[in-house]
Amino acid sequence: MAADKQTNLLAKQLFKLSLVNGVVSPEQVAGVLGWVEQYAPHRPVALLKAYQHRIAIELAKSRAVVEHAGPVSDAALQQIAAAMTKRYSRAITASAKPNAKLLAGLRVRVGSDVYESSVASQLATLSV
Amino acid sequence: MLPLLLATVEEANHAAASGPLAGLQQTFEHFGVEPKLILFQLISFLILFGVLYKFAIKPTVATMEERNAKIAAGLKHAEETQARLAAAQTESAAIIKAAQVDAQKALDEARKVAKEFGDKQQAEAITRAADLLAKAQQSIELEHQKMLNEARSEIARLVVKTTEQVLAKKLSDADRAAYNDAATKELASL
Repeated sequence: MAADKQTNLLAKQLFKLSLVNGVVSPEQVAGVLGWVEQYAPHRPVALLKAYQHRIAIELAKSRAVVEHAGPVSDAALQQIAAAMTKRYSRAITASAKPNAKLLAGLRVRVGSDVYESSVASQLATLSV
Repeated sequence: MLPLLLATVEEANHAAASGPLAGLQQTFEHFGVEPKLILFQLISFLILFGVLYKFAIKPTVATMEERNAKIAAGLKHAEETQARLAAAQTESAAIIKAAQVDAQKALDEARKVAKEFGDKQQAEAITRAADLLAKAQQSIELEHQKMLNEARSEIARLVVKTTEQVLAKKLSDADRAAYNDAATKELASL
């Protein structure tokens, strides 16, 4: 069921209430969920889906998913997290995700942005 | 009869010897010629001649003259007709000659126009053929280039796929770790 305009507007307000200093706060999110549970606003399921979507997008912005083929050290992850934190001017944590299709190298995904330095990408460039 | 003629000649010679009139008179008497009868015959002849002249000779002469006039008119008309015919033949010959000249001019003009039209058509056909040839060559060139690009892409795809398979088998963890370190430095420096 698609959320209507009023539901989207309420989800946006609840999402803003969930941020503390531009970062999603678990305590605030818990408070928002409690408010929804207590007052049961109009179309609660659509509201919670829209709210969850916004929270997921925001969390993805503060998380760097590092896809890798072969071993990657914690120091490398920390180094990438620091570089992304500096680049986006917000705290970003890095998490590793194995991807054998890369052959060798890394692919970093922050929100909708993708940074890649891998053998697969270079071979793909050659094949174009 | 000969003795009668000899007697007459002898009497005439005898009368001539006595005078010309007396001789002539004796001759007339000898032959039975009477002056009165001759006068009456002369008068009858004149009357007959007058009647014949009035009712036969004169109309006949008039008819003949009329016929002669008609014949003369016919001859004159025939001459005029012949003259007109000759003039008409001359005129028709001139007209035919002029028509032939005009026809020849028209024919020459038509030939000239036809030649110009043929030359123009030929030039246009040559131009169109050249355009078609150029377009065909361009199309062939594009098709050739497209085929080369497709072949190049397919070859590159096969090479990349083969390389991926080889690298997936041949790359060791140490190689991957070294590459990952290099990638980390590259991404951190963005």
